[in-house]
Amino acid sequence: MRIIKLNNQIKKRFIFLLIIFACFSASIFIISYSLKDQIAYFVEPTDLKSMDGLENKYLRVGGLVKANSLKFLDGNWIFEVVDQNQNSVNVVFSKTLPNLVEENKGIIVEGKFIDNIFVAEIVLAKHDENYMPQSAIDKLKEEGKWRGN
Amino acid sequence: MFAITPNTLSNIMNSLSRYAILLSLVLICLSIFLIIFLENDYYQGISFKIMFIHVPTAWLSLTIFLVMGISSIIGLIFKSPTAFTVARSLSPIGLIMSIIVLVTGSIWGNLTWGAYWVWDARLTSMLILAFIYLGHILLLYSFEHFQKADFAASILAIIGLVNLPIVKFSVDWWTTLHQESSVLRIGGPSMTNDYLITLFVSFLGIFMLTIFWFSNIFYIIVEKRKMERAKLLND
Repeated sequence: MRIIKLNNQIKKRFIFLLIIFACFSASIFIISYSLKDQIAYFVEPTDLKSMDGLENKYLRVGGLVKANSLKFLDGNWIFEVVDQNQNSVNVVFSKTLPNLVEENKGIIVEGKFIDNIFVAEIVLAKHDENYMPQSAIDKLKEEGKWRGN
Repeated sequence: MFAITPNTLSNIMNSLSRYAILLSLVLICLSIFLIIFLENDYYQGISFKIMFIHVPTAWLSLTIFLVMGISSIIGLIFKSPTAFTVARSLSPIGLIMSIIVLVTGSIWGNLTWGAYWVWDARLTSMLILAFIYLGHILLLYSFEHFQKADFAASILAIIGLVNLPIVKFSVDWWTTLHQESSVLRIGGPSMTNDYLITLFVSFLGIFMLTIFWFSNIFYIIVEKRKMERAKLLND
């Protein structure tokens, strides 16, 4: 008799916790789903095509620095940010670039469009999740398996 | 777990803790040796070596919260003092781990990204995790009776469990400045074996240190309660 009573109590507590957890996770899901665009840290150049009212809107654009596009002209860095769909954005930046900004490497630029040119105020280098010593890359290159630059 | 009394678990942990600290010292020394002699990353240079502290502590801060949440559930459902005490002794360790993650991450971020802090999904959810740990500790010490404190703090730990998948999968669900997972990912680890081995050695070292630390905190809590009980009986 006592065991049945205990089981009922355990069941009640379990259901109570389940309801707390379900309610809370549902609310977090709804919040994060409706704020999806705000939580995303940057947009890609392809996403910009479907957005309007870009002029003077403060945003972050992320992608790779296009090969052979990084130049230093009249005290400004000029480069193109390109994504997988080969859409690109022309960027001008007047301060010092982070150390890791290189061609064909990830970058995030923060600023706004002025006359179809993206004037960046902050530039961040975005590195990927691959870690390798130079010797491993040389070995891969010898075997012809290296797909990077 | 719910059949074991806090006293028994304290004794078991105490007999294990000396092996844990020995093993941890050996593994941490080995990992420092490995880290020093490891070749630099082709792109990030020497600054990527902070990963060998950042990643293990990040894993541990998530795992500790998971264990805390599960033991809180067990404690609330089965009214088990052992489970409550496990959760109580884990939260300070988790807080220290998450602070280490945030600090090493900031240093690494400044060296590679060019910024100490950005409000992207991974960094923000990790900060929230640290605040939940802090809230858990504050709740535990803001009640006169520890049973009430355990109840309130357990509810917070269970609610905080919602944050765990957000921390883990934030880099896959949203675009972030933080890179994606290198080890626990689809398609296998994206680093060479020498890096991977060093990472696991340093993880095991810090894990063993956590076990040692946990058993000490657990022991202190159990002994304190024994003394309080003895004092009550004497009065």
